[in-house]
Formats: sequence, C-alpha cells, structure tokens
Amino acid sequence: MAAEKPHMNLAVIGHIDHGKSTFVGRLMFETGAVPPHVIEKFKEEAKLKGKESFAFAWVMDSLKEERERGITIDIAHKRFDTEKYYFTVVDCPGHRDFVKNMITGASQADAAVLVVAAPDGVMAQTKEHIFLSKTLGINQLIVAINKMDAVKYDEARYKEVIEQVSAILKMIGFKPDEIPFIPTSAFEGDNIKENSPNTPWYKGPSIIQALNNLKEPEKPTSLPLRIPVEDAYTISGIGTVPVGRVETGIMKKGDAVCFMPSGATGEVKSIEMHHEEIPQAVPGDNIGWSVRGIGKNDVRRGDVCGPAGDKAPTVADEFTGQIVVLQHPSAITVGYTPVFHSHTAQVACMFMSIDKKLDPKTGQPKEENPAFIKAGDAAIVTFKPMKPMVLEPAKEIPQLGRFAVRDMGMTIAAGVCLSVKKKE
Amino acid sequence: MSGVAATIKVMPADADTDLNALKEAIKAAIPASGKLNGEIIEEPIAFGLKALMVTVIVEDDEGGIEPVEDALNEIPEAESVSVINLDRI
Repeated sequence: MAAEKPHMNLAVIGHIDHGKSTFVGRLMFETGAVPPHVIEKFKEEAKLKGKESFAFAWVMDSLKEERERGITIDIAHKRFDTEKYYFTVVDCPGHRDFVKNMITGASQADAAVLVVAAPDGVMAQTKEHIFLSKTLGINQLIVAINKMDAVKYDEARYKEVIEQVSAILKMIGFKPDEIPFIPTSAFEGDNIKENSPNTPWYKGPSIIQALNNLKEPEKPTSLPLRIPVEDAYTISGIGTVPVGRVETGIMKKGDAVCFMPSGATGEVKSIEMHHEEIPQAVPGDNIGWSVRGIGKNDVRRGDVCGPAGDKAPTVADEFTGQIVVLQHPSAITVGYTPVFHSHTAQVACMFMSIDKKLDPKTGQPKEENPAFIKAGDAAIVTFKPMKPMVLEPAKEIPQLGRFAVRDMGMTIAAGVCLSVKKKE
Repeated sequence: MSGVAATIKVMPADADTDLNALKEAIKAAIPASGKLNGEIIEEPIAFGLKALMVTVIVEDDEGGIEPVEDALNEIPEAESVSVINLDRI
C-alpha cells in the first residue's frame, strides 16, 4: 500500500469529549481509508436512525468491532493516505498510568493533531496533553478548533479559543506562529478536506492540506550515538553481547564505544539485527552487538552505549527538569524521592529544590521557590539521582531527555530535562 | 470502556533458555486484568538470541499495564520485560 510514500505516526490528542473519535472517523472517511462495506453499513444505519446518528465516531466503533472479532489486532485499520504521506493514527490511551510506557516505549508519534472543541475551549486535560506531546518529542502540531457548527461558525469565538491555546503552547515551548489553527466541524465535514463555505472568513489550509504540509521526519543520525542497553548476554564463541534499540547516531563495526554510567569501554566487533550481520546500525534498529574488551558484568540494563571520548553519554550528578504533575494524593515538597523512568533506566531521584511554578495562562513563572506543588501544576525542579544515571538535555538529545516519575504504583509526573550538571 | 493493546517484549534469561517453556510461563503469568491476544511470536534479535513478543489487551480505565509487566517480571526465565507499543482499540 503506497510503500513509496513516507510514513508518519500521527497522534490525535485532546480532551475526552472534544470529538477525537469523530475527527479520526471523518479523516479516514474523507481519505478513502474506510472499507466500502463499512461505509455501506454506515449509510444504512444513518438512514434507519435519521441524521442525528450521522456521527463519524460510529465508523471508528465499527472498525473496532471488526478488530475485536478477529483473533489478532490489525493496526492497519487505522491507516490513511494523503497525497504526500501515509499515516498511522496513534490513539493514545486515556489513563495516566500509560504515560510511563509512552515515555520509555518505542511507539513515537511524528506529529499530532490537537482537537479543541470551540464551545468549551481549553480544558485542564488540554494543557496536560500539549505538555505530554512535547515531552514525548512531538514537535509538529496541527490545532483543530472543532465543533464550529455548535458555535454557529463564529469567527470571534474561534479567535478566543486560539488565544487560549496559544498561551499554553508558548509556555510549553511550541511556537504558535508556526502552527496551523483550523476551524473544523468533524461532524459536518467543514475544512477537513476542502475549505468550507460555512467559514468564509478562514483562508488557511484544510486539515488534509495541513497534513501534507508537515515536514518529513528525519532519522536522528547526526546526533551522537546513544543506545540504551536493554540486557547484556554472554554468548559462547562470541563473548559479551548487549542488546538494545539505537535511539540516535550511527554505530559502525570497529567503533570505540563506552557504556555509561558503568564506564566500560571497548571496540565494536560485530553488529547483528534479525540474526544477520550488518555493517552499521541506525536509529530504530533493534540490535545485539559484541564488544571486545568488556565482560558481562561491566554492562547492565539502564547503561547507555555511546562513543568513547568527549561525546560519551552524560552522567547526571544533578539535573533540572520541567515537569507536569499528573496525579498525587497530596503535596510534593523538597526531599520527595520517587523513582524516575528514563530510557531503560530506573533510578530514585530526590526533589532538591522546586525552583519555579509556571502560570498556564501566560507561561511566565507564577511563583519562585514555591513551598509545594500538587496535581495539575507545571514546575521547574532540580533533581539529584540517588545512583548514577544517564540523562541528556532534551534540547540536545530529545530521545534521552524525557522521564516519567513513578510512586505508589502511579505515574506521578512526566517531564523533560532542561540542563544537566555533569558528574565528574 | 475501551481496550488498550500492549505489545510487550520479553527477553529470555540467556541464549539457551527454552522458549517454549518461557511461552507457557508467560501464558500462565498474565493476570486476570489482561487478555493474551493472538500467538506469542519469536523475534530474532542477534547471535541466536530471540525475543518473545506478547500482545496483551487491558482496559483503559483499569490503571495501566503495570500489573501485567510486574507479573511477567516475576518469571525466573525472563530477563527483562518492556512495553514497546500501545494502541487504543
């Protein structure tokens, strides 16, 4: 299926009642990605129940039913094509406890559509979702101001909501000027494929045009090599073999590499992927590699392999991060020491100082050195790992600059690393 | 209520681990909150090492995939357990 088009993972995010399912259903319908027999069934259903059942969420429900009937989940159901790309829709789980898996896991979205309902505007969850998108490394965003039909296509209301969303985007580090805002009604189909006569005041791209305008994701090959170690094995006749997925950079046979924080160094003897020897490994490759000069006990899960020398992975003595507190039963104060999950590492880190609490409306610091932070707050905090761990500033190596904070069996917070005080 | 399909990668304790026995241990260990979807698939990694790919479906509002991860981590022949993909179904 259109294998020559570049592929993109597209996350659709937004508050629970803002019409995400209808939006995805409409998008798949307009791009011809819904199988004909589902559309037929859909039309019959619509005829039976009158126009009010003409909700595209129904399309998604039917596809879900189809999938549940099958033995194996087939994610191909959530693919659609535009002229330039083919997209896989990443439907993010709603529960906050999945955030840890989204931060440490492999399924990365390349771009996101944020759906905000025009009648409601920005809700608490909207802020959280925008922050999580940034934390997850999504830099390309399209904002759909949805349910425009429910506000009679009022341009003034559209502009109000844009202002609200822009304030949060700025705080989180997106540039609102570079983000397309599009007035839509997924229910009626306005501005999804073509510009709608219902919004004559809107001259920008439709959703599908905006999707075509996204930049093709680049593999982060120009960054320094980073491979978080998943496990290390001893294999007879081969020696010590770490396994893991290349996050950034390129590793070639013969390269001098090191493992941090362990500190072991050696020379790459051979690299295998799918049991076949490869001359070099690039981002996304799941590999095992043998290294001359290291023993099995020199390297462990949570270590990061990188080039030996001055571009070696950074071991943090302390680091500063911007976090959003997702859930916590009471107040978080200095001294709190939950477990941080980042790449394959899990290390307890202490809240050393809560430097700033941020105002979601302006993006400006609301309070310097607040006594505590609680659920819903965004803050800048300095942390101290209780054991050595590798972490990089997200601006330099985003793949190794995000973390989830866990305690009491819950994901307490998600964050990005702003700066690192290097351990010497 | 909606389900979440999680693809979990289980690495064996060493290169000689009996993968069929590990598969059975995984099936037995999945707690009631999760449902195994399809077959457990062997995926070649490197130098004879194979990973087992397990797809488990949990409810979105049941509080994450953690109980499944924890249960699989208890298996002695499993070296590591990582969730590599999540998708709402």
